[in-house]
Formats: sequence, structure tokens, C-alpha cells
Amino acid sequence: MSHVEEESGSFVRSYLLTGGRTRSDAGDIAIEAMVAVSPDSSAPRDIDLARIYDLCAEPNSIAEISAKCSLPLGVARVLVADLWGAGTLEILETTRSDDIAIVRRLLDGIQKR
Amino acid sequence: MASKSDNTAARPVSAKVVVSGGFGVGKTTFVSAVSEIAPLRTEAKMTSAATGVDDATFVQQKTSTTVAMDFGKITVDEGLVLYVFGTPGQDRFGFMWNDITAGALGALILVDTRRLDECFNAIDFFESRDVPFIIGLNQFDGAPEHDPELIREALDLSDAVPIMRTDARTPDTALDTLVALLSHILESLSAAAAASPTPAPDSREPDREAPVVSDAQRSAAMSALAAERG
Repeated sequence: MSHVEEESGSFVRSYLLTGGRTRSDAGDIAIEAMVAVSPDSSAPRDIDLARIYDLCAEPNSIAEISAKCSLPLGVARVLVADLWGAGTLEILETTRSDDIAIVRRLLDGIQKR
Repeated sequence: MASKSDNTAARPVSAKVVVSGGFGVGKTTFVSAVSEIAPLRTEAKMTSAATGVDDATFVQQKTSTTVAMDFGKITVDEGLVLYVFGTPGQDRFGFMWNDITAGALGALILVDTRRLDECFNAIDFFESRDVPFIIGLNQFDGAPEHDPELIREALDLSDAVPIMRTDARTPDTALDTLVALLSHILESLSAAAAASPTPAPDSREPDREAPVVSDAQRSAAMSALAAERG
């Protein structure tokens, strides 16, 4: 992750965080994909990245990270992708849309409510 | 920091379903009825390239519009979480719909029987992508109750698509509707599995294993950045 450019103006800071990069090593991440801190990792220095890191002490989805950190979805995704690329965060498994066993489990679980 | 075994236990798999339908049809109400958390809202910038027929067309110099989507969450068991995403009312055909739909198990399309035409786009969208869906006729005070079979005819839906009455304001009813959706998804998947005796699902969706930024996604993010600066 590149450092945050110090620049004055009316830019939203979170956009600066992505540094206008056109390259990322990771990131076609589903919005429902959960993200968790990697074992033995430490919090990033940057305060915004550290917020994401702290939030992911409990697994949170990309959508939740976006909502809870007030980051636009695309920005949250790029930042998480970077932290994933750096080994700081892990991206957990999402289900395949044709996974019958998972649908059965969902059905059983929700019917019990 | 949690121990490794704790980490393993607390690393659930996630799935999602979609709640769609026209403007003001009760999507957010439904999400909030089934969700165990207060619904969350996430936003994205819709740039001029993505606005299409939407409202930015007639506003000079307006280069982006914020689209918001609401979602909720159900922890099914220790290792499985279901997210329920509402499609944004604005961005009718835009990239957020693709984000929401990619990998979705299925969709509930809510319908206000007084404004049937509002759901046509959603039906077309999910039909064309082969996403299993059901129709929920949302109850509104003072609205007449129609025979679901008449609605089926009006919407030109096949017999395979379940149509049921629901009430997004009532958690029990909303959960029943979610159960109906999951049952329909299960039936659809079982039918598909029976139709193709040698499925090889494991060879599909390799991108799920090792996420890579797609060009479209990156350009959408970068357009958002550019729009914010412009």
C-alpha cells in the first residue's frame, strides 16, 4: 500500500488512499465475501486502513466494511484487496451459487427461526 | 489476537440472496424484517458512463450520482452467514446490480399489485441471468388482493416461478417468504443437477479461489475516483 499523499483540496480522503492506482494484485472480491485479519498480522499504520483492520477482528463482509467505515464500495474493495495482497487480511470463502448442500443448510437454519 | 483454533471456528462461509423490485415496493422494509442487524447501507458512485437513462442526463455538469443499497445479515450457524441485499432503486441496470447479483443464490422480486409494471425490469434481469427467483406480492393497506394466477398471466411468468403473498412489515411473514425462496432455489438446483448427470461444478468460477481485479471493476472504481475529483 502506498503512503497517503499529503494534498490539500476538496478531495474525499478515502479516494486519495487508493492513490489513483490502476493496478492491484487482488480484488475481484464479492460484496458478501467476509474478510478477517490474518493470524500473526499487525495493524497497518495508516489510520483508515487500521480501521478496516480493527473491524475485521470479527469477520465482516466487503459490504459491511463499506457501510461501517463509510467508504464507497469500490474504495473499500480496493483497500481490502491491498491488505489481502500484503497478507494482512484474509478473504474468506463465499458459496457457489449452485451449492445444493449450502442451500439445504440455509433452509434448515432459517426454518428453525 | 485470537488463537488459531479460534480463528478457524470464527471463519464462516458467506452466501447471498437478493431482494429486488420497483421503487417503493418495500425492499428495505423486507431486508430489515429478516435481518438480525439493523440494515446497513453502502454506497457507490454512478458515473456518467453508467447512468444510462437515469437522472443525471438532464442535469448539466453532474458527473456522478450516488447509488445506495441496503442489506441485512442472518447468521445461520457458526459457519454460515446469509446476506440479503436490496437492489438500489436508482441505478436500475448499472454495475451495482452486477455486484449484487454475481454469485447470488436467488432473488425475491417484490411486487406492488397496483404498480405491476415497476417489476418488469427486475424480472427481465434475473430471467436473463438464470438466477432462480420468486415473486412476493407485498401487502399494502388498502390495496386489493389479486389472484396470484392472474398476476402470473399479467407478468407472463412460467408455472415454475412461485408467486406468493407476503408482508414485508411482518418479520414472521418475511421469513416465510425467505424460506419459500430458498426452497425454490433448492428445487431449481436439484432439477438442474438431475438434468445434467455429470456436473463438474468444481471446475467453475476459478476467480472465487484467487480474486483478481477485473478490468471492468477496476475501471468502475477508477471512474468513481475521477468523478470525485472532477
